[in-house]
Amino acid sequence: MRFATRAFLWSFLPFAALLAGSFWTVRTAALSAVREALRTSVRDNQVTLVREREQSESRNTRILRVAAENPALKAGLQLLATERSARETARRTVEDQLSEICDTMGFDFLAVSGASGEPLAGVIRGQEGFAAMDLKPVPPAKGFFATQGHIFQVTSVTIAQGDERVGTLAVGERFDLAGVAMPAVLLHGGSVVAITTPGANKSETEAALHKCAPSAECEVRIGGETYMSMPLENSAAQGAEDGFTLRSLRSLDAAAAPAQLVLRRVFLSAGLASLAVAIALGAFSSRSIVQPLADVVARLRESGKTGVLPVFAKGKRGVREISELTDSFNHAAASIREGQDQLVRAYVEFVSSLASALDARDPYTAGHSLRVSEYSCAIARAMNVEGQEHELIRVGALLHDIGKIGISDAVLQKQERLTEEEEALIRQHPVIGKKILECVHGFEAYLPVVELHHENWDGSGYPRGLKGEETPRTARIVKVADAYDAMTSDRPYRRGMRHEQAISILEKYAGTQFDVAAVQAFLTLGDIIQRPAAGDDPVHNSLQHLAAALRMETASPVAPEESRA
Amino acid sequence: MSRSILSSIAVGLIALASHASASDVRGIVTIERKLTPRNVTPAAGLYQRGSPVALESDNHENALDYERSHVVVYLEGDRLGASNAPVVPAKMEQQNRRFSPDLVVIPAGASVSFPNFDPIFHNVFSLSKAKSFDLGNYSKGQTRMVAFPKAGIVAVYCHLHPNMTGTIVVTPNPWGVRVDAKGQYTLADVPPGKYTVVAWHKTGGTFRKNIEVTSSKDSEADFFVPLAELGVGEKDNHAGLHTGH
Repeated sequence: MRFATRAFLWSFLPFAALLAGSFWTVRTAALSAVREALRTSVRDNQVTLVREREQSESRNTRILRVAAENPALKAGLQLLATERSARETARRTVEDQLSEICDTMGFDFLAVSGASGEPLAGVIRGQEGFAAMDLKPVPPAKGFFATQGHIFQVTSVTIAQGDERVGTLAVGERFDLAGVAMPAVLLHGGSVVAITTPGANKSETEAALHKCAPSAECEVRIGGETYMSMPLENSAAQGAEDGFTLRSLRSLDAAAAPAQLVLRRVFLSAGLASLAVAIALGAFSSRSIVQPLADVVARLRESGKTGVLPVFAKGKRGVREISELTDSFNHAAASIREGQDQLVRAYVEFVSSLASALDARDPYTAGHSLRVSEYSCAIARAMNVEGQEHELIRVGALLHDIGKIGISDAVLQKQERLTEEEEALIRQHPVIGKKILECVHGFEAYLPVVELHHENWDGSGYPRGLKGEETPRTARIVKVADAYDAMTSDRPYRRGMRHEQAISILEKYAGTQFDVAAVQAFLTLGDIIQRPAAGDDPVHNSLQHLAAALRMETASPVAPEESRA
Repeated sequence: MSRSILSSIAVGLIALASHASASDVRGIVTIERKLTPRNVTPAAGLYQRGSPVALESDNHENALDYERSHVVVYLEGDRLGASNAPVVPAKMEQQNRRFSPDLVVIPAGASVSFPNFDPIFHNVFSLSKAKSFDLGNYSKGQTRMVAFPKAGIVAVYCHLHPNMTGTIVVTPNPWGVRVDAKGQYTLADVPPGKYTVVAWHKTGGTFRKNIEVTSSKDSEADFFVPLAELGVGEKDNHAGLHTGH
């Protein structure tokens, strides 16, 4: 896992969890507060309605008391009580009276019962007029009364003659549940007769309300919603087993739904917004933590490609840990550079000792390697060869005759002309040099120059007989420089040629032995090429030159990178 | 008017021919306004279970006709004795929770029967000075008979039905009639003499007019009943007797 991801997750996740948790808590609290407020308002509302109903009932009762004082009705009751023989007619007489009273008072139902509660007569309003009703006991004070397919809400008063109670007068109005000012349910003996609560199923409501005490406020769950139910009217409580119960039934959820929806939306959007902020903050903070580190890592990666160890500026970064890291890296890098320098020095000393060993064997060739290297570099510069290839030419030229170590002094230092066998031995030196350097780690790149600096352009060279550009350019350039130096050097058996003569020979064999481009480049150098004056101590000279040149040149790759860092 | 004069002359001639010693008193009672507020009483229905009893709609009787027909005209005079005409027994039925007719005119000494035609009980009674009685409860098909020996106005009620009301006008002599719907009345065969013609209306009150009846000529006595609408305290300026010619 990336450090940035890790930092982000560790900063974001707890934050998000905390945020989500607190939002959830607040939301739940708010929702329950809304619910509670609604419950209170629903309850208040219901209580008010219940009170209103009670008031209207007490008004009804008052009106009814007046009706109960009707002397004609009392006379009718008297008639009923006395006329045993024509009871039916007497009942009709009373029914007729009742219908008159009932019509005047605007009730739907009027009935009288005797002193002991036995039903005497009653009329019910129909569509065309009043009809006699089936005689059955009417609730004693108030309540619901079902007869002839209708449910009536009944209020009863006593008819008294003096102190004597002669009967009961009951008035009723057709009960329409829709007329109740709130969603309600009418139960008869525990089963739902009518329901006006939207969305409530009859049988589920029945089952749910079964648990409610008949005269207590009650909260029930029907079909996954919470309902609040208050008793509005309860005749079951008054003893009748199959009595009616009118309860309000109102969904709290439905009432709370709009407010809850708003709350949910608010919390959802606030939650999402703060999550987005948390993500942004997390990303920013993790970035700000990781960025300095990432910079360091990026520079290290780059240095891995270039091989140059970076030097980090001190004290620029605000983060102390990063500063410490870069400081310690700088220390480590300094040590590594030190080691590299030592390595380079060792390398230089090695090459120097090789060259000096070579030079020590043959005083006539003293300084040859160094000169060839110088000439080759000059040619290379003239040909615009730079960088890595130029380096190959420089060092390769220094080492080009290393193979001569493997050739016996007798042959190498022979004053006379060489025999064919000796010539063949001499010709072995590129291959021997190659073999020697093959074993040295880091010298592989110089092998082509060492091996192929005797190949000719026309393919007549050795050891492989490569043609034209089959021979690498490095080797072709070194060949020109080598030939020039060989021609201009003194040999035991001859004096060195003059510069012009050597040039003319180079021109002559350009295209056959030599690469034309290399020769032409050499020609442009002109007077730059100057054979050092004879008589100098060649060995001392060459060693000094070599060491100086190497030190200067090998140091140069480091120096520019230091300045870059 | 000429037509009525002609007809009265004709009637007078006939009367003269049949009964030389008597002539008629006739006249017109004018009522221009509705006097009596009336409630529509639903019919006393047969309260059978399950069959509703239809409410009776208001009868579309002309209100002024009704008022005129509820005026009673009779004579007052010392010299008037019992008529030799046979007394027809009067009847006041109870039908549809009403007295029918609700106004009966009888001479003193006559009787009225109160048969019940309703399917329910009635209890007819009166507390009037002229005659107070209580007939008790009785049902359909039964009747009661009451004699009214004294002249006066007898208001009749029912104990069971406070809305029921009827009036029996007991006149001191046989010369008493209800005015017809058009406002005309005739008191036939009145012996010559000086009399007071009395017009009575339940709410309008009593109006009197003195006339002299001669054997040769019919008399006329017209009345204007200036009744204010009930409940309105306004007094009609034309209240009072309106004597014809």
